Amino acid sequence: MSTIIAKGINKKYKDTNALKDVDLTVESGKIYGMIGRNGAGKTTLLSILSAQNPATSGLVTIDGEKVWENQKAIDRICFSREIATTTPFGPNTYKIKDYLKAAEIFYPNWDKEYAKNLVETFKLNPRKKVSKLSKGMLSMVTIIIALASRAEFTFLDEPVAGLDIVARDQFYKLLLKDYEETHRTFIISTHIIEEAANLFEDTIIVKNGEIYTNENTQQLLARVQMVSGSAEEVDALIAGRDYHRVEQLGNTKRATIVMRPGEELKVPETVTVTPLSLQEIFLAVCGEEVEQ
Amino acid sequence: MQENLNESKSIYLQIGEMIENEILRDILKEEERVPSTNEFAQFYRINPATAGKGINLLVDEGILYKQRGIGMFVSKGAKEMIRNKRKETFVDQYVKTMLEEAKRLNISKEELIAMISNTEEDK
Repeated sequence: MSTIIAKGINKKYKDTNALKDVDLTVESGKIYGMIGRNGAGKTTLLSILSAQNPATSGLVTIDGEKVWENQKAIDRICFSREIATTTPFGPNTYKIKDYLKAAEIFYPNWDKEYAKNLVETFKLNPRKKVSKLSKGMLSMVTIIIALASRAEFTFLDEPVAGLDIVARDQFYKLLLKDYEETHRTFIISTHIIEEAANLFEDTIIVKNGEIYTNENTQQLLARVQMVSGSAEEVDALIAGRDYHRVEQLGNTKRATIVMRPGEELKVPETVTVTPLSLQEIFLAVCGEEVEQ
Repeated sequence: MQENLNESKSIYLQIGEMIENEILRDILKEEERVPSTNEFAQFYRINPATAGKGINLLVDEGILYKQRGIGMFVSKGAKEMIRNKRKETFVDQYVKTMLEEAKRLNISKEELIAMISNTEEDK
């Protein structure tokens, strides 16, 4: 089994610390979801894991070998991100087919036939210039490159951001089909958490340049719950715990409690415990800085 | 498998319950093959590991059995097993909640029994 391990990763841009001492282990054969607010450090982290961007300090290894400037390691990873429609010299006049051609050279496991089929599935015209592509078409190209790369570790940065619901559903289906056949590793960052939550075996939450959690999605869902009841009861329950999002309506109070894995919550009969969706969990743990 | 998944409980528990419902309704018969983990995954757009967890719960309970290289099948007596299991949770899940609400509404035991038999007749 292959593993990518990031240890003590820091990334500084001028006066901001985009990543702070990040440790992350990515195991092969899993679909990971990566969620975090804008600017949390998701894209930076993915670009460092795939050696497209150097870390200020820290080390990324794949099966013990360092990834940076190591072609053998880089060949096993694909990080597909949206192509820019403009370049420093003006509009990007390359065509879709030029990018596919470049990808063929860049990714040793490139599946030309698969790429061709995907272009047809998404009804793209390969002769179209990148500068003329809509937001949705740009997302489709990102997806085609990721899937057809057949790379052992494939990272997609917000692949569905520009897609309508029909195309998003199509992508989820294509992803699962590919995963069934190849069982390779995917990391998918997304803001459309509600739709994709069930696709993720594990979920990585990036918060303020740090990893809040990287764990089995079902386990995470089981250990974060909302309690509601009288203010006194809820206050007593959350005391000394990891709690978030406390809100009060009249004398009724509710709060989100994060338990340790395997821990069970014992509550009085008058307190209601409600399971939360991944999106609600995200809102509870990452939404606090905007409150008040 | 026409039902949709919701967020009220774990997806793998819902997958397990859905298979059980199909067995209770005779849509899935004893000794018949159950769709594979990957078929479930693609149908519901969920991770195969999650679908597999739901199926394995039923294997552990003896409701389904694994045949190496072929797939999952419904065990003999599966329907009876599911019925017995669900009867055990029936009191907690339905009867207790009903009694609590009846208490809040001041419905007497006699009224409640009358309601149940009347509803039964209407059907």
